[in-house]
Amino acid sequence: MTDLFAWIEGLALATWARESPSIWAYPTILTLHTVGLAIVVGVNAVVDLRLLGTAPRIPIASLRAFFPIMWWGFAINFASGLLLFMADATTKSGQRVFYVKLALITVALVVARVISKRLHQQGEAATLRPLAALSLLLWAGAIVAGRLMAYL
Amino acid sequence: MPTLDVFVHWLRATPASEWINQSTWIWPLCESLHFMGLSLLVGITGFLDLRLMGFFKRVSIAAVRDLMPYALAGFAINVMTGLVFLTGLPEQYAHNPVWWYKMGFLLLAGVNAAFYETTLAAQVLAADGTGDTPRAAKLVGLVSLVSWFTVLYCGRMLAFIGDAF
Repeated sequence: MTDLFAWIEGLALATWARESPSIWAYPTILTLHTVGLAIVVGVNAVVDLRLLGTAPRIPIASLRAFFPIMWWGFAINFASGLLLFMADATTKSGQRVFYVKLALITVALVVARVISKRLHQQGEAATLRPLAALSLLLWAGAIVAGRLMAYL
Repeated sequence: MPTLDVFVHWLRATPASEWINQSTWIWPLCESLHFMGLSLLVGITGFLDLRLMGFFKRVSIAAVRDLMPYALAGFAINVMTGLVFLTGLPEQYAHNPVWWYKMGFLLLAGVNAAFYETTLAAQVLAADGTGDTPRAAKLVGLVSLVSWFTVLYCGRMLAFIGDAF
């Protein structure tokens, strides 16, 4: 496995992302990762807050329109995250907190998918409250885990 | 800017600055909170901006405004955690042009929101749900959206421009 991660890190794309002095390399990739974070977590926060009872005048059914935006944000973060991982594959693959982050995001995305599916059904809003609360906690946890990768 | 340097040196010598720099957990904690705050702020404000621009017409503007206290809470979290960063390393921010751009766009977002609230909001809310938003409201939404994402962009990029950090 260590060989695999070293090979990934040695790829031209990974080396460019890590070592290029260009503002378009590491700084821009990292900034895009933050832009995507704001979109993914921001959209989820809006949906979750509404399901938890805030802004009751927003029709529950209208929340469905948000999920495509969330998935676009996720696409940005999947691509930028992959590049960030490739650039430091040997270090990041050895960080336990990195796997915690991936696990939290995976569960959070499954929760988001379940919420978006159940929004189609009438009268489900109240039963979605625990999932909405869980979603907020999972995204907050993913942010903390992501930040801790720079420290642990 | 000598006055700025005096302020930077004074701030750096305060016990608060000392404490922030000696702590191992305060920086990652405040960074995490800063990311949560920006998500709330950008997510909710972005929703209102897009609504003002004419998207999500099924939702009334008044309904979206009910979320705004949470956006303001996100903003408050970010002002507080931002002040922690500034107190910890004032020289890194004060001498970085990108940080000043960030402050500039923050001011633009604020002036834009104040302009909307004082001159357009009443008219927009009176016509809420009856059709399209006025062109001026669309422009306010666009300026807000661009300003906030530029604030975010500058905030993340300031670590890489100049010889900061």
